[in-house]
Amino acid sequence: MAFQSRLKFFSSPQVKTPIPDDKAPDTARSTPGTKTSCDDESPIASLDAPSTPPPSQRSAALSLPATLAMESSFELPDSTDWLATSLPAFEPLEAALRCEVCKEFYNKPVITSCAHTFCSLCIRRCIAIDGKCPACKSACQADKLQPNIAVREIATKFQEARPKALELACAKDNDDGETAAPASGRKRKREVADGDEEGRRTTRSRQTRRSTRPGDEIITHDMPVVIPDSDEENEDEYIPDGMVPCPICKKPMKEEAVFNHIPICPAAQKDTGTRKTRSRKDYAFPNPLQARRKDNDPPPTRLSGLHYPMLNDKSLRKRLQDLGIPTWGTRQQLVKRHQEWLNIYNSNCDASDEARKPKQELLRELEDWERTQGGRATAKESHIMRKDFDGQNYAMAHKNQFDDLIANVRKRAKETSKPREEKVESTPAGSSGSDPQPAQADKPEFTPDPRHPYENNEAALSSIRQKVEEANRTDSAFPPLSHNTKDANMKAAQDAGIHQDKIPLGFAPENPLGNPTRKVPMFRMPEEPVVDVESSTTIQ
Amino acid sequence: MTSQASKRLFKEYRDLSSNPPDGVTAGPVTEDDMFVWEAFIEGPEDTPFEGGVFLAELRFPKDYPLAPPKMKFLVEMWHPNVYPNGEVCISILHPPGDDPHHYEQASERWSPIQSVEKILISVMSMLAEPNDESPANVDAARMWREKRAEYERIVRDNVRKSLGL
Repeated sequence: MAFQSRLKFFSSPQVKTPIPDDKAPDTARSTPGTKTSCDDESPIASLDAPSTPPPSQRSAALSLPATLAMESSFELPDSTDWLATSLPAFEPLEAALRCEVCKEFYNKPVITSCAHTFCSLCIRRCIAIDGKCPACKSACQADKLQPNIAVREIATKFQEARPKALELACAKDNDDGETAAPASGRKRKREVADGDEEGRRTTRSRQTRRSTRPGDEIITHDMPVVIPDSDEENEDEYIPDGMVPCPICKKPMKEEAVFNHIPICPAAQKDTGTRKTRSRKDYAFPNPLQARRKDNDPPPTRLSGLHYPMLNDKSLRKRLQDLGIPTWGTRQQLVKRHQEWLNIYNSNCDASDEARKPKQELLRELEDWERTQGGRATAKESHIMRKDFDGQNYAMAHKNQFDDLIANVRKRAKETSKPREEKVESTPAGSSGSDPQPAQADKPEFTPDPRHPYENNEAALSSIRQKVEEANRTDSAFPPLSHNTKDANMKAAQDAGIHQDKIPLGFAPENPLGNPTRKVPMFRMPEEPVVDVESSTTIQ
Repeated sequence: MTSQASKRLFKEYRDLSSNPPDGVTAGPVTEDDMFVWEAFIEGPEDTPFEGGVFLAELRFPKDYPLAPPKMKFLVEMWHPNVYPNGEVCISILHPPGDDPHHYEQASERWSPIQSVEKILISVMSMLAEPNDESPANVDAARMWREKRAEYERIVRDNVRKSLGL
């Protein structure tokens, strides 16, 4: 009942007049229900006004954090846009024209064999996953989908009419001045509260959509009455404090919002858009008929699916190649890509003739999908080297980075070289260089060496014994350094340090002390035979 | 380029913030990444969870809404349908075609027309009415069935803990 009354209220001619006084009798006439509420509220309107901001402010507050709202790539019109306007009944209407999967306006809508309607691409993706209708879970086949032309026309036309209608619905509240905004605000709150009491909250959108559907029709009938002649008079009048009008559409808004608004200003598109649509409006379904007369192309044929288990990798790749889509990746990726290509391609066939895209465009969509959800999206993929990967070129291109990394590692190694040298001296030649674990190097079982390199080096031997004792006693990973051991190994450590400083990348070091392991650059074999000084034998 | 998934998540965020259901708040942790959300769920009235506010995390797959998100409580929960690590186990969060136990109706499971709002409302009703047929936390389920008083005491302790009392 409340709904009906509001309806009359908006379609009545008096609505256009900006004088608030006219409004009160008008609403009072409508129905007893709203009469009382309006009468209640008009005396206290001035009290309410400060607490209830004008609708444009209110909608700004209702929408998102400022950073998100500003982001133009995320300009997302939504059915809830209507809630803050004087036409909240348009919310369920618009919700009914949006796909339940992607929540966008129906894009190339198709109807399933269970009579549910979705965007062609959405339902095809769903079917590819589990073969069921997302709404009723009954079995569904992609080749049973039929374009839903009526819904397509309604959704497109509604989208064209939307900016203007929304603008009017927002502007109306302003015209009504301070009395109207609080009144409608109250009513809305009351509605929501009712819904809660009845426990309708969980399925709100669906139920309200059902219940208000007859009303929506009335509104759409009335719409043309409101739209055409309220254009000019309505807009450039009442502008609340702190607001400035948009230079194009005259809609009042905060000054800082104007800049962001202009690129998306509905009036800018309106001038070209709505005039055309209005002239077309009289025909119910003009486009398909006209197009068919002109159309010379044969109707597009949908691609049929493949039975993947029947195909080996090679023939699957061949199929993809024949379709002109990329053939890299694992088998699983090939299958997914083929499925997605079928979805994209076949959904394009459901478009109206003039909206059908060329294959090039579809390939770009496939590429987008690849980036966001396909093979290139997962982190895992980036670790797998592709077959046609040009390793040499990559190495050349990134040589600087590699060099930097190597230099970094060497610098770090040098910083830690002092403590390392200690233990290196004490361990057999073979195991020390690449041993990152100091504790292991100190373990006694590493010390025996067939060639006994430290047999005559009493200082080194004693330092080893000392370390082993300390390790056994304290059980620590690395025994603290003492001056004793430092002295014993000082010379060798210094030599090693000097050599490391001077070795240019990629050079085999000369090795006067016969301790080959420390001085060899990482990951590089010495290019000349290394001579063990003590035993005078050549180790290779 | 933003994917369909993040667009849809953004819409749901917008819906939830402009038209929030009772007892539930949810949104992305940071606006840079729409695929990780945090949600606060109030304990339903007339249950031992009453008065509590429970923090949970929702992680969305890249092909959302074709596949459901994963939900995990970040506070301690003692409930038959919540794993000891906090993961929520309810049918609406189970992807289609994945029903090893064959106890769920297909209609109860995830479908792309479900939404974050519906998930959170389902979780609230799960708190009020545990399903002990296929418990995620067997001990909690047994306690719920056999020693209801003790179960309620633990839950109330957790509520107090979640509020930092």
